[in-house]
Amino acid sequence: MGKRHIASAFAVSTVLVASLGLAACGGSDEAGKTADGKTVVTFWQQQFEDYQQAWFKKQVDAYNSSQDKVKVQIQVVPADTWAQKLKAAQAAGNAPDVATTSYGNIPAGAANGELAELDGLLPAEAFTDIKDNVKSFVTINGKHYAYPMLVEPSTVLYYRKDLVQAAGLDPANPPKTWAELSTWATKLTQGKVKGMTIASVPADLGWSSWGLQYNACGHLPVADDWSKSVASDACFGQLLDFYKGLYQSGVMPKQPKVGYADGSPYGNGEVAMMAGGSWVVGQLKNEFPKMIDKTAVAAFPSMDGDQTKPTATLGGWTLSVDGKSKVKEQAAGFIGWLLAGDPAIMADFFKSSGFSKYTVRATVDQALETNPDATADPFMKTISEQVVPFGKAEPAYPWEIALAFGTAIESAMKGNADVPAALKKADGEINDIIKKQSLAGTAPVR
Amino acid sequence: MALTPTLAPGPQTADAGRSARGRRGRVKTPPHRRDNRTAYLMIAPMVILLGIFVMWPLVYSVYLSTYEINFYRGSTFVGLQFYRYVLESPDFWHSIVVGLYYSALTVPAMIIIALLLASFIKTLSRRAAAFMKTTVYLPTVVSTVVASVLFVLIYQDEGVANWLLSLISFGPVNWLNDPQLALPAIAVPGIWLGFGLTTLILLAALLDIPESYYEQAALDGAGFFARLWYVTLPLLKNVLLYLFVTGFTLAIQMIDLPLIMTNGGPSEATNTPNLYIFNTFRDVTPYATSYSLTASLLLFVVIGAISAVVFRLVRSDKAIDG
Repeated sequence: MGKRHIASAFAVSTVLVASLGLAACGGSDEAGKTADGKTVVTFWQQQFEDYQQAWFKKQVDAYNSSQDKVKVQIQVVPADTWAQKLKAAQAAGNAPDVATTSYGNIPAGAANGELAELDGLLPAEAFTDIKDNVKSFVTINGKHYAYPMLVEPSTVLYYRKDLVQAAGLDPANPPKTWAELSTWATKLTQGKVKGMTIASVPADLGWSSWGLQYNACGHLPVADDWSKSVASDACFGQLLDFYKGLYQSGVMPKQPKVGYADGSPYGNGEVAMMAGGSWVVGQLKNEFPKMIDKTAVAAFPSMDGDQTKPTATLGGWTLSVDGKSKVKEQAAGFIGWLLAGDPAIMADFFKSSGFSKYTVRATVDQALETNPDATADPFMKTISEQVVPFGKAEPAYPWEIALAFGTAIESAMKGNADVPAALKKADGEINDIIKKQSLAGTAPVR
Repeated sequence: MALTPTLAPGPQTADAGRSARGRRGRVKTPPHRRDNRTAYLMIAPMVILLGIFVMWPLVYSVYLSTYEINFYRGSTFVGLQFYRYVLESPDFWHSIVVGLYYSALTVPAMIIIALLLASFIKTLSRRAAAFMKTTVYLPTVVSTVVASVLFVLIYQDEGVANWLLSLISFGPVNWLNDPQLALPAIAVPGIWLGFGLTTLILLAALLDIPESYYEQAALDGAGFFARLWYVTLPLLKNVLLYLFVTGFTLAIQMIDLPLIMTNGGPSEATNTPNLYIFNTFRDVTPYATSYSLTASLLLFVVIGAISAVVFRLVRSDKAIDG
């Protein structure tokens, strides 16, 4: 090979490496100003039901045109890529200024410095409007780290009135105990239609069973101060037996096509009853409107029939400001306008949701009182009167603990371990997590 | 076979170069040195890119694994603590076992099926062989995501798999939600996706074996199995080793199929190492970030060690030339 060829090869390799290097280094976020001098606030919205994307976009457009100092740039991020995308952005220092944050992630986010305190950024009266039980969801040691948007109970019982009647059961008198629920599920299992569907994989069981964990034992499988596991308490055995009975008796689909959060098996008529979050009301109204007349909702049955015991956690979403954001004030300004400002904005949201989610501010409740759709909605009345008042906050401990307990339920359901062995394994795993993550005594004061 | 004369510069050429330099001081660079320089320049881009995108991140990852990483409050030096946590974790070792089991289910089956298919294609006419090669290669170009969704539908209670079983009055089988069946059920699309490429590689290797060897063996009275055992397999040894090691390395790192089809369940029966690490990484705590990083590094060591053992057990001969 001649010198010219060697030189060519060297030049090509240099150009290749340099271009790749430039590609790797390029694209960094500059300044945060638009061409016309507006401050740019980046906003990542986790992807929810379709109507929510439309609502957020509409409101962001309205905010951007309502003033000339700030431009909010919204980006919708799918739920299954959210965690890794956010972590990668945090590592690179490019985390969004505003993000949707679930109640469960607020304590860890505040402890790690990921969330900015909102107290100095929003007026004090913005916080006084929040309902008392919800206020504690966003408060750590007296400081507010996010502004709540909604609550939604994690577990409600949906049932088909027509099928219930056909099976000789009374639709006006839904099951009150777990034993009654199992009986109903057995009677409603006819041909290809299963009597019931409920979560059956750890990723769903981990969170959707929190309310029932409270129901069975009055507490979660961790001591209040996070000093030790209490997963081997006998009362949790009854919870595992309940799930195991439903699964092994064949009254629920053994190979669910979708996760717990998706109500389409019920909407498609594959099951007669469903444990689902309140958000399924919205899904039924939007995607399966013919099912609405045939459907009734009730508080999920309690272990012993006591309907004042919790059966659901009140999950939900907030907006938070990134701890490293350079435009905290503007970011908080947008959150204040959207969530804490004119009650009509959030009233519009709840209307769009088909009243499948629940308000967190007194003034929004007042705005909805004048809305005949809201007051006449049968689902909203049942859920807001019989479920929400007894709902508990989502736990603040790391997800691994919830997953360990969800895995124990699954092991019992699928016969991989008997109930005591499954609980013993979860107990050991939770104690190990507590030890390795030094959790003892770190439970946040809400 | 006729011996091929060597074209590479031999010792005499090199000696001549040295003596020339000794006689005349500064002389032209010998040809083999120029060749070496050209070779270095040619591989330079790859070495530089490997350095930037593989070696440096690897070294930096090892450095980071000694910290509990916090992107907001600063990281805390913890030494080798996370290595101990990972090595003590039964879940990590369980995931390695799942990965090995998945590899054992897929790699040998894929190679055997591919060998049979390649032997069959070799016997076909040119046109039929071309058609068959295209046909067996088709699954390779199917996206893993598409294959996952396809097989999830096949395994449903009302899916094709259970319909076939119902024809012999059996089932329905709970393919993806039974801890004993889930991994074998996932291995089926794994084999389906991979056997096309394996078949083509083995076919190329089979065609490379001179027909005269088989003729000679036939004259000596060797039957089909004797020819397979004494002629085909020894001459395919290096190719089989390559397929085995690369197949194993890919199989133990499988993430897409279990992620989409079962998300590691039921009861962690399909929680392959990469899926385990991925799910650990998704948690929001600084602990999870450092733990998943350390687990990745240890997985790298485990796969490297197992590959080394495979190489040692199946000793690769330098060349068994035809």
